[in-house]
Amino acid sequence: MTHFDAVVIGAGNGGLTAATTLQRNGCNTLLLERHNIPGGCATSFVRGEFEFEVALHQLSGIGPEDRPFIMRKLFSDLGVLDKVELVQEHELYRLIVPGRQDITLPASWTGIQKRLSETFPDEADNIRQFFDLGSKVAMEYYMGLPVVRKTNNPELLDSQCPNFKAWGLRPTDEVLAEFIHTPALINAIAPYWSYAGVPTKELVFAEFIGILFAYCTFKPWHFKGGSQSVSSAFIESFEEAGGTVRFNCGASRILTQGSRVTGVRLENGEEVSCDYVVSNASPLVTYYDLLDTPTPESVRQDFRSRRKGVSAVCVYLGLDCLPEEIGITTASTFVMSSDNADIDEARLHTLSPPEWGMVTCYNFIDEDLAPAGKSVVTLVALQYGDAWASVPPEAYADTKYRFGGQLIDLIEKAYPGIRAHIEKAEVATPLSMMRYLNTPDGAIYGFRQNIQDGPLFRDPLKGIDGLFSAGSWTAQGGFQPTYMAGHATAKTILRKLKAQQKEAAHV
Amino acid sequence: MSDTHRTAFRNIVGYVEAEALKRQLEAEGSDLSEEKGRVPATINRLHPKRLKLRVNQILEDTPTTKTFRMVAEDQELPPFQAGQYVNLFVNIDGVETARPYAISSSPAERNFYDLTVKRAAGGFVSHFLLDRVQVGDRLTSTGPMGTFHYNPLFHGQELVFLAGGSGIAPARSLALDIIDHARPIHLQIIYSNSYASDVIFQEQMRSLARRHDNIELTEIITRPDPGYSGLTGRLTPERLAELIDQPKNKRYFLCGPTPFNENAQACLEGLGVPRSQIMVEVNGPPKHPEAMAGWPEGISSDHQVTVTVRGQGSFNALAGEPLLNSLERNGFGAENACRSGECSLCRVKLISGEVFNPPASRIRKSDRKFGWIHACVAFPVSDIEIDIM
Ligand SMILES: Cc1cc2nc3c(=O)[nH]c(=O)nc-3n(C[C@H](O)[C@H](O)[C@H](O)COP(=O)(O)OP(=O)(O)OC[C@H]3O[C@@H](n4cnc5c(N)ncnc54)[C@H](O)[C@@H]3O)c2cc1C
Ligand code: FES
Repeated sequence: MTHFDAVVIGAGNGGLTAATTLQRNGCNTLLLERHNIPGGCATSFVRGEFEFEVALHQLSGIGPEDRPFIMRKLFSDLGVLDKVELVQEHELYRLIVPGRQDITLPASWTGIQKRLSETFPDEADNIRQFFDLGSKVAMEYYMGLPVVRKTNNPELLDSQCPNFKAWGLRPTDEVLAEFIHTPALINAIAPYWSYAGVPTKELVFAEFIGILFAYCTFKPWHFKGGSQSVSSAFIESFEEAGGTVRFNCGASRILTQGSRVTGVRLENGEEVSCDYVVSNASPLVTYYDLLDTPTPESVRQDFRSRRKGVSAVCVYLGLDCLPEEIGITTASTFVMSSDNADIDEARLHTLSPPEWGMVTCYNFIDEDLAPAGKSVVTLVALQYGDAWASVPPEAYADTKYRFGGQLIDLIEKAYPGIRAHIEKAEVATPLSMMRYLNTPDGAIYGFRQNIQDGPLFRDPLKGIDGLFSAGSWTAQGGFQPTYMAGHATAKTILRKLKAQQKEAAHV
Repeated sequence: MSDTHRTAFRNIVGYVEAEALKRQLEAEGSDLSEEKGRVPATINRLHPKRLKLRVNQILEDTPTTKTFRMVAEDQELPPFQAGQYVNLFVNIDGVETARPYAISSSPAERNFYDLTVKRAAGGFVSHFLLDRVQVGDRLTSTGPMGTFHYNPLFHGQELVFLAGGSGIAPARSLALDIIDHARPIHLQIIYSNSYASDVIFQEQMRSLARRHDNIELTEIITRPDPGYSGLTGRLTPERLAELIDQPKNKRYFLCGPTPFNENAQACLEGLGVPRSQIMVEVNGPPKHPEAMAGWPEGISSDHQVTVTVRGQGSFNALAGEPLLNSLERNGFGAENACRSGECSLCRVKLISGEVFNPPASRIRKSDRKFGWIHACVAFPVSDIEIDIM
C-alpha cells in the first residue's frame, strides 16, 4: 500500500492551502479531488465566448502593494503570488434601492465616511461616532482578543478590548440603530451582512464591522483569470514541491484503527495509508459519510448546536454590450427592493421572488473574460438549500429558470434593459453548489454564522487522532478565512510531526 | 478552547447568554445525523455521474438508423432538458471509449430515454451499437448533460430548428417537450436528409406537425430519387428566406453533420441573423484539423508522434487523431462527456510538446496559462508528454 504522511480530501481553498503548506514543508502529501479541476467554489467555467467566475466577488486580506497584508504573505510563502495577477477594485460597492436610493462608496475607511456625510449631512456626527467605534471594535477583535484568549486574563479584556467587550457580540442592527437614524443610511452601510450570510438582526457586530473595516483598509481584490487561476497556481506550487494530486478521485472512506487515522480509501477502491487526514469536505460529510467508525460523541455534541448555513442562486450572464451601456459603473452592486430592516431571513427558506441581490461585473476586473464589446455579469441571491431540496426532479429546470428570471427582474429595476442584452445565461442553485462541492444544503459559508457559531465559542473537532477539518464549515466562510484555515491546520500537523520526530530521535 | 479560557470572555456583553443558548441547543438540537448520505442521494436524482441503462426495445426506423429505448437499471432516470445528451460508454473488443448521443424522447417521459443512432461512414461506435447491441444488453452512460437546450431566460418563443440527418433526435425531443408541457413556444423544424429513405421519425414528426399549430415541419431531400415530389436541394439563404418568416427575430438550433451546420450557419448569417441567436450543437472533434487556421505548416495529419503519459507509459499516435481517442485505444482513460471540447471533463496537463487546440476547445484562460488542454479535441502535432492526474 502506498504511504503518505498526509492525505488532503478536497481541493477547495482550505484543501489547497493545507496541501501546499504541508508539501512545501516536507510532508509527503496526497491531494484528492472529486472533480476534474481544483478550487471547489474557487473555480470558473466557459460557455461559448464567455468565462464565468463561480464565486469570488471580492477577495479580502491582500492589502495594497506598499502595505501588504496577511494574504499577500500567505500567497508568497506558498509560492503562488508570482503565478497570479492581482487586480484591485477601487470602489467598495454601489447600493441601489430602485426608485429610491443610489449611492457608490469608495474602498476607503475615511472615504466612505466622507461620502456618507455628504449624502446624509444631518447624520455627519453619528457617522463619525459609528465609524470610530467600528474601527476600535474591529481592531480589538483582531489584535486584542487573541491575547485575552491566550492569557485568559479578564483584566486584559478591560484594558485591551473595552469596546469589543461592550459592543462586539451585540446584534449589528442594534448597534446601527443606536448611532444611525435614517433607514437609507443604514441601507448604505449594511450590505456586507451578505458576506457572512446572516442578516443584521442576528449578525454579531464584530463580524460585520470586521468585514467592512477589512475591505476598506486592505481593499477588495481579484485575480486576472478569476479565482480559478489561483486554484490552479496552488496545484502548480504543490506539484513543484513534489506533491501528488488526483482529480476525478473522491475519498470514499477515512480508515481508522482504535480512533486513530490509518489511511484513506479512494473512490476507485484503492487504499493508501497515512498518518494525517485533512478533510476540506464538510464535517457532516467527513464524520457521517467518510469516517469508517461511529461519529465521536464530542463531534455530535458540536453538531447539535449548529445549523446549516445559507447557499445561493447565481445567474451567470454573458451580455452583448459593454457595462456602461446599461448603466453599470462599478464591479460590485447591491440591489434591494426593501430597506435593510425589512430583510427577512425566513423568506430565504422559500422560493418567493428575491428582494435582495448582488451584481458583479467582471469587465472591471478582467476584460479577457468576455469578447470585445461584451460583458460578463453575475447575479447572486442568497437562499437556503431546503427551499430547493423538495422541488421534484422533473420540476427542477423550470423552477430554476423561474427563480433566475425573478432575480433578473429585480436587477433589471436597477439596470433597465439588461434582459434584452443577454446572450448567454446559466442559473446555478443551492443544488448546483451541493453537486459541485459535495456540501449539505449547498451551504457556501459552512454552518450558519450566528453568535454561538463564532470563534469565541468553538473548539476544533476532536475524537479521531490524526483527523482534521479545514474549510468554511470549521472556520468561517469566505476566501480569506478558508485559505487561512487550511494553512493553520497544516501548521498544527507540522508541529505534531516535528514533535514526533524529536521523540523518535530521543528513543 | 477549554473552559478555563472562556472565563475571561464571560464579561463580554452577550457572551453568557450566547453560551447558554449554545448549551440549550446542545441539549435539544439534532446532531444532524439525518444528513448521512443525503448529499449524494439528492444529487443522484438530478446529476448522477454514471447511469446503468438496459436496452428495453430497439425501434428500426430507417435502413441506417435504430432508436434504442433505454431504461434505468437501479434508479429513476434523471430529468433532462430537450437537446441534452448522455455520453454512452462502450467496450469494443477491449477498447474503452464513449460517444455522446442526444436524447430523442420527450423530457416528460420519465420511464425511458430514446437514443437514436445513425450509421456513420467509417464510424466505430455507431457500427458497434447498430450491429452488435441487442435488447436486454446493459450499458453505462453519464447523466444528461450539455448546453444545447432551450433557455427561457433569453431564447424567446419563436424557435427554428435546422436538423440534418440524426440531428432530428434533439428536435424531436424539443417538439415533444413543447407539446407535453404545453409551452407557449412556436417551433419550426427544417429537416434535411440526403435520401428520402433516410428520414428518421418521418411519420411521427409529420403527425405532430399536423396536430399542433405551434409545430411546423419542412422536409428537404438533397439527393432525391427521380420522381420525388417534395422540396429538394441544399439549404441556401434564398430557400431559408422563403421558409422562415422574419428570420432576424428567431432563435436557431442547428444540429447535423459538420458540413450541414457550417452551411446552415452561413446561410443564416447571410440573412442577417446575429451570430448570438444561432446555437450549434457540438459535433465531435473536427474531422480535418489540418485544414483549420492555426494548424502548423508542414505537418500532415498522418505525421507520427510519440505520446508519453507521465508515470504510465508511451505510444505512437497520428497528429490528425484526437488525443483522447489514441489514449483510449492504448488503454489510458480520461474522464469525458461531450467529446467536442466544451465540457472540460477530459482536461489533462500538457507537460511538454505542442498540441493544436481548435476553436471548439473551450479552455479556461487560466488553463491556457498553466498548460491544461481538452484531450478530446487536442491534436498532438509534435512528440508530447502529458499528465493525467
Ligand atoms: C456564489 C458564491 C459567492 C461567494 N462570494 C464570496 C466572496 O465574494 N468573497 C469571499 O470571500 N467568499 C465568497 N464565497 C464563499 C467562499 O467561496 C467559500 O466559503 C470558500 O471558497 C469555501 O472553501 P472551502 O475550503 O470550504 O472549500 P469548498 O469550496 O467547499 O470545496 C470543497 C472541495 O472538497 C471537495 N470534496 C468534497 N468531498 C470530497 C471527497 N469525498 N473526496 C474528494 N474531494 C471532496 C469538493 O469537490 C470541493 O472541491 C462565495 C461562494 C459562492 C458559492
Ligand atoms: S470530453 Fe468534454 S471537453 Fe473533452
